[in-house]
Amino acid sequence: MKKKQGRQLIELAVNGEAYELAEEPQVTLLEVLRNDLELTGTKESCGTGECGACTVLIDGEPVLSCLTLALDCRDLDILTIEGLAKGGDLTHVQEIFLERGAVQCGFCTPGVVLATTALLKATSRPTDYEIKKALEGHLCRCTGYNKIVEAIDKVLTDGYLVNE
Amino acid sequence: MSELDYVGKRILRKDGPDKITGRAKYTMDMRLPGMLVGRILRSPCPHARILNIDTSRAEKLPGVKAVITANDTLGIKHAFVETPRYPPDQYALAANRVRYVGEEVAAVAAIDPYVAEEALHLIQVDYEEMPAVFDPIEAMRQDAPEIHPTHPKVKEPFKNIGGKTYSGWGDVETGFAQSDYMREDRFESHLRTHGYLETQVALASFEPAGKLNIWTSSQGPFIKREKLARTLGLPLSAVRVQMAYVGGAFGGKVDLYAHEFCAALLSMKAGLPVKIAATREEVFAAYRHGQPLIVEIKTGVKKDGTLLAQQIRVINNCGAYRGTGVVVIFLAWGFVMLPYRLPNLKYEGYAVYTNNPPRTAQRGHGAPQLRFALDSQLDMIAEELGMDPVEIRLKNARQPGEQLPNGDNVHNCGLVECIERAAEHTGFREKHLQNRSVGTTLDPLRRGIGIAVSSYHSGSLIYPNSSSAVVKMNDDGTLTLMTGAMDIGQGAETILSQIVAEEVQVPVDKIEVIAADTETTPVDIGSWISGNTYVTGNAAREAASVVRKKLLDLAAEELEASPEDLVLDNMRVYVAGSPGRALKYRDLFTASIRKRRGDPIIGEGHWRTMQDVPFHPSLATTKGRWSENYAFDAQVAEVEVNTETGMVRLVRAVTAHDCGFPINPLLVEGQIDGQISMALGHAFLEEVIMKDGRTLNPSWLDYHMPCIHNMAVSESIDVITETYDVGRSYRTKEVGEGLVSAILAAIANAIFNAIGVRLYSTPFTPEKILRGLGRIK
Repeated sequence: MKKKQGRQLIELAVNGEAYELAEEPQVTLLEVLRNDLELTGTKESCGTGECGACTVLIDGEPVLSCLTLALDCRDLDILTIEGLAKGGDLTHVQEIFLERGAVQCGFCTPGVVLATTALLKATSRPTDYEIKKALEGHLCRCTGYNKIVEAIDKVLTDGYLVNE
Repeated sequence: MSELDYVGKRILRKDGPDKITGRAKYTMDMRLPGMLVGRILRSPCPHARILNIDTSRAEKLPGVKAVITANDTLGIKHAFVETPRYPPDQYALAANRVRYVGEEVAAVAAIDPYVAEEALHLIQVDYEEMPAVFDPIEAMRQDAPEIHPTHPKVKEPFKNIGGKTYSGWGDVETGFAQSDYMREDRFESHLRTHGYLETQVALASFEPAGKLNIWTSSQGPFIKREKLARTLGLPLSAVRVQMAYVGGAFGGKVDLYAHEFCAALLSMKAGLPVKIAATREEVFAAYRHGQPLIVEIKTGVKKDGTLLAQQIRVINNCGAYRGTGVVVIFLAWGFVMLPYRLPNLKYEGYAVYTNNPPRTAQRGHGAPQLRFALDSQLDMIAEELGMDPVEIRLKNARQPGEQLPNGDNVHNCGLVECIERAAEHTGFREKHLQNRSVGTTLDPLRRGIGIAVSSYHSGSLIYPNSSSAVVKMNDDGTLTLMTGAMDIGQGAETILSQIVAEEVQVPVDKIEVIAADTETTPVDIGSWISGNTYVTGNAAREAASVVRKKLLDLAAEELEASPEDLVLDNMRVYVAGSPGRALKYRDLFTASIRKRRGDPIIGEGHWRTMQDVPFHPSLATTKGRWSENYAFDAQVAEVEVNTETGMVRLVRAVTAHDCGFPINPLLVEGQIDGQISMALGHAFLEEVIMKDGRTLNPSWLDYHMPCIHNMAVSESIDVITETYDVGRSYRTKEVGEGLVSAILAAIANAIFNAIGVRLYSTPFTPEKILRGLGRIK
């Protein structure tokens, strides 16, 4: 069983904001995001790294925040779903996901959108297989994935590059 | 039919922007000041007497604010079904005896999850183990351990019968005597979980003045309020159940759960808000899944394939308490009555107690299990008679306007068109013949095609039986819709807004929805009886039409025109042919306040599945009306079977469905895709594996829900049988759960078409395929 231990000071950079926090060493990034920073867009569905709902981007790479210790995230650039739409303007990926009906209950959506965003930044023309590899760790019970893939195909057809 | 502006359109979901940006707050995301963490202690034994519970050490642990056991409760039982015949059979916290592994025994509230977890370990429970039984057939034997006494009205010498449904019509013996061909088969289905991503969670806050506020991830607040108030001994008005966004449900979040009761009672005891969230492992190992059924069918047909008689026995392994166990044996009868004409039926269904966790509704609620059995057997009959699977289905499919044996009517049933169009779209007949004619080749990959049909009711009379809605205009001409309906991801708020938008001609994004709050919104049937679009939708339409009429009456006065000559368009009224003679809604709002003694233009509407039937049908005898509105579908599966590995791939799934009139085709497609995916999981991937009452695979690593590599190619054909006309009620039918069923039988039939192996149980594993092929013993 986890026991309370001494807190340590850390600085976290989340969505372009710097936060100074005192955290116990066993605390996960997911817990810090949700409980301390109240960024509840990052979801927990299993807590054991099996579903992808807690995915955030760390230095642009998708990472399971439920398996990541907060203390290991010093000096790293963390992006959560709340940091994606700048000034309220949805990104192209977000817009097309809505337009194509890729969102139902929405619980997997933040993780899927972030993983898609990371994929399209890293690979401008991913193959079908690369798309599926990028999303294979994300469980979605509502859509059957059809409309998610359809949305990503539409983003690619639009020739939109996900660069800042 | 007039031109429609909002209904029938691919309007984007209203909650989309909140969900895509992470702003949407689910119950899991909610926090209140001073909130405690609740955890539940569960039975490690499948069947045992509780000799003693000592909570003293847990209570002394610093940081623990409350500990509860059965002694802290009023000892009031609850159940999903609570009728004179089926009185409630379960305590919210086990008293004296536990009947399954995972049954709730005690609960704690503490300042953080670590303290709460430690407190659970400090509770000492002394159990005296009792013999247990897990298989329903064994549990029915006279020498089986008794979990509950057999229901007093069941006269057969079976043990552990929680309930029985018996029904029928005609005379099966005569039907069998007239039959040219008969066969008897037995089919079995298996245990699957719902797979909602947001685990079960509730946040309760009891105010010192006596008010209980509770937010819970559910499918409708009204049934929760009723059961919470009664088990906690609070007046109904003292319990307020509210919604947050819901991360999926699929039938698994309807009934009262112990974590909701415990969060409330712990909050009452501790004087602070308490949140209890189940872990994923708890959901797998201790919460309610769907219902594995054994289905025995004896069928007699004429040479030409006409169904003459069926004798059916369904045995439900319903777990340690009734749950929805006596509902599914009733519904199973209904899924026999539909979708084929059947002159003679004898039906018996048994809900059998076993030492497994209780079960609950799961998308389709018995339809996948029954349609798998019935439509598999129908293909076997067609094969014997040398008939084409499409032909035998067309021969028996119900026609528009047919009266069902229970007095319901199928109205504009589109089943025949569904079968014809699904077959035509897939080139069914040619492929089916071609696949059969393929002899032994060296290619291990074989193609097969299969078809099946199903039908599902759209709303039924189960508490709270009806829906109401209120539509009110705001000063600026926008609208607010108040509805008890719960959006669980299916898009309830969006389609209800579309309906209101159509009636009043206010754009969907100018309609604010206040939903699913027992205090401020009117009663609603809930998002769990497939009546949302039909029942709640018609209530919203009625409410909106009152607003429409008030606007027209007032505008006629103000514009000195006849109401018939007025046109509503985008928040203004004008006289047909003179668009200059117009008034904006906001001006009519002001005029109404002035001229109608302060009426701010409010409309209310009500709807009920059936207008004139006092009660729900009898679960035991099926007497009484069931539904006024049935959806129909035919589904075709194309599969590829690898005869060396036994692996089967669903290559293509085609759904031709009669949902009446699709209010939002984009959302309808989403429902179809999701159901095909769920059926694919049912067919090939998913199984909760239990041994001696314990779950062996309580995680998503070991329970294989479809991932993106298992995506099915899903195509759909709308068979539109109804119209939407402004100002008139409509019969739009369900589309959210009936489509998990036929596809399952279609897959089984396609596997037979590919390799000649008939499967009698789900899931369709490589092992069963290879055994069927004689490759393994």
